[in-house]
Amino acid sequence: MAAPARSATTAICSLRALRKQYDRSFSTSLLRLASEGDSDQPPKFTPPTKPVIIDKTKGDVPVRRFVSPEFIPPRQRTNPLKFAIERIDMIQRRNILNIPEFYVGSILSVTMSDSHATEKTNRFVGICIRRSGKGLGATFVLRNIIDGQGVEICYELYNPRVQQVELLKLEKRLDDNLMYLRDALPEYSTVDFNMKPVLPPVSGDVPINKLKVKMKPKPWSKRWERPKYKVLGIRSDLCLSAEQMEEAQKWAKPWVEYDMLKEYDTSALEESLWQEVQKGTSK
Amino acid sequence: MSAWGCRFLRLGDPLLRGACFIVGRSAPATKSSSHCVQFVRTIKSTTWWDEHLSEENSAFLRKAIPEEYNSQTASKLNPLKDEPWPRQEWETASRRVGLVALKLGMMPIWTKTGERHVATMLQVLDCHVIKYMSKEVFDGKTAALIVGAKNVSPFYKSENSMEMYRNAGFPPKQKLTTFRVTDNAIIKPGTPLYAAHFRPGQYVDVTAKTIGKGFQGVMKRYGFKGQPASHGQTKTHRRPGASGPGGDPGKVFKGKKMPGRMGNIYDTASGLKVWRINTKFNIIYVHGSVPGHRNCLVKVRDSNLPTRSGKTENPPFPTYFTDGDEELPEDLYDEAMFQFGDPSVSLA
Repeated sequence: MAAPARSATTAICSLRALRKQYDRSFSTSLLRLASEGDSDQPPKFTPPTKPVIIDKTKGDVPVRRFVSPEFIPPRQRTNPLKFAIERIDMIQRRNILNIPEFYVGSILSVTMSDSHATEKTNRFVGICIRRSGKGLGATFVLRNIIDGQGVEICYELYNPRVQQVELLKLEKRLDDNLMYLRDALPEYSTVDFNMKPVLPPVSGDVPINKLKVKMKPKPWSKRWERPKYKVLGIRSDLCLSAEQMEEAQKWAKPWVEYDMLKEYDTSALEESLWQEVQKGTSK
Repeated sequence: MSAWGCRFLRLGDPLLRGACFIVGRSAPATKSSSHCVQFVRTIKSTTWWDEHLSEENSAFLRKAIPEEYNSQTASKLNPLKDEPWPRQEWETASRRVGLVALKLGMMPIWTKTGERHVATMLQVLDCHVIKYMSKEVFDGKTAALIVGAKNVSPFYKSENSMEMYRNAGFPPKQKLTTFRVTDNAIIKPGTPLYAAHFRPGQYVDVTAKTIGKGFQGVMKRYGFKGQPASHGQTKTHRRPGASGPGGDPGKVFKGKKMPGRMGNIYDTASGLKVWRINTKFNIIYVHGSVPGHRNCLVKVRDSNLPTRSGKTENPPFPTYFTDGDEELPEDLYDEAMFQFGDPSVSLA
C-alpha cells in the first residue's frame, strides 16, 4: 500500500512540476489520487483548484505611458492658461468618448453621426496618415481606397458628432506623416472595412511596421525625395535614379539638426500632462 | 526718455585733440569765445527702474509692491468697508459699462446640432473701475467711467499718470479705457468687474488695435486685383493701376486708396455672440475673431448694433457683484452650445 502511495506522490510531484511548466493547459484533477491512497473511506469530493493563469510572456514591463500629442502645447508666446483651460474640456470629452492611443500608421474606424446618411451614422475605416492640430482643434486624417478611388477624411478628435473611435490595428510606421501614400501604389492604403480588430499590446513599445512602399511613377503631388519631408518609407531605389537622389540633396539643410534653439524637449511636460490626464479621467 | 546733452569742443586744446566729452545741463557752463559749442541729442530709451538702487532696496521693493497690490485689490472686495452706491433698475435705454479683457487665443466650439464655430477666449484680468466722470466733467452729454485692466509695475509709469492710480487706491494698469454710460449705470470707482458682467447669448462689440503690417501695397491693403502674372506685363503685377479720371477733374480725388501703413489702428468687431462664460478663470468666449494680437488688451462692451443691442433682457445691472445673492456655476453656456460633458451628438 505504501509503495504505490509513494509512487503516486512522486508522480504527483512530477505532475506539479509539469504543471508549472504548462500553466495554461494542465488540469488539476489528478491531485485526487493523493487523497485516495491515504484512507480506505470513499474519498470525499474536493473540487479541483481553480487554475490561475499567469501569462509569463508579459513580464514586469509597466503599462505604456502615452500622452496624446494634442495635449502638448506648441512652443509659442500664448498664455499657458489658454491651453490649461482647453485641457479641462478635452479631458471632459475623453471621459465621454473613449479615444484610444493611436499613431500615424495605425488603422482606425470612426463612426460619426451624419444627417444625410440613411442610418444617420457613417462608419469609415482607414489608415491614419496624419495627425495635426493642438488642443481642441486636433485632427487626424484617415485614408482608404474605395472602389478604386482614394478617399481621405479629416476627422476632428473632439468633434461631438464623433460617436466612436475604434482602434483596429496599433502600429507605427517609419514616418510621422504618411501623406506620400497618395502617390504610392493603391494596395498600400487599401484597408478592409470588415477587418477584425487586432488586440494591441498593453505594455512595451508600439510595434513599428518597417514597410517601404512602392511609388507610382512621377510626377507626384509633392517631391517626396526632397530632404525636408524626411521620408524613409519609400522604395526610392525603384522610382528614382542615382542622379535624381543626388539632385534632391541640393535642398538639404544638414545644419538644422544642430540648431539648439529648435530643440523642444517635452519629456517633463509629457510627464505632468500624463498625470493631469490620468487624474481627470479616473474621476 | 531722451536727454539733451551739451558737447563742448575745445578746438585749441592739444590735450583733447579731436575728442569730446559730454557734460550734463547742470554742469557749470564756463566757456570762452574760442570754444565751439555743439548740442547733441543723446537718446536714452531704456533705463532699469532699479538702476540707482542698492540690491537690498530693490529686493525690498520687489517684495513690497506685490503685497501692496494684493492689499489694495483685496480691500476693494470688502463691501462693508465703505458705502456702496445705490443700484438702479435696468431699462431698455440704459447703457452699461464694458470690460477690458486680455485676448488669450482661439478655439473651436460646437453647437448641439454639431455645427462647428470658432470662438476667441478673452480673459478679464484685474479689471477695475478707476474713475467716475459725471456728465458735466466729461463732455456735457453723458457720464463716463474709466476702466483699467492688468496690473503692471509702477516704476515705468510717469508721475502724472501715477497720481490718478493713487487717488483711486489702485496699482497702475496696463490699459485704460473710457466707457460712456447712462446715469443709472454708474459704478463706484474701485469696483472689480468680472466676466459674468456679460451673459451667454448676448452680443458684444470688441475694440482693439489691429496687428501692424507695416507699409503695404494696394493689393494687401485694400484687396485690389492687381494685374496678370504673364501675357506681356512689364513691371506691372501688383500695382494700383489708374488713380482716377483724366482731364475733366484734372486731379486725384481725396481719399484715393493708395499704398501705405497698414494695421496698428483701432478696429471694432461688432455684434459678436457670447457663447460661454467661465466664472472661475473669468473667461468670455466670443464668437469669431477679434482684432489685435495674442495677449493684447481689448475693450468689450454691449453691442451697439440696432438688431443686436436689445437682445439681452435684464443683464446684471450696473454690473455683476460677487456679494450679491446670485450664485453662479463655474461655466455659463449658451443654450445652443454643446458642453463637453454631454454625450455625443446624434442627429435624428
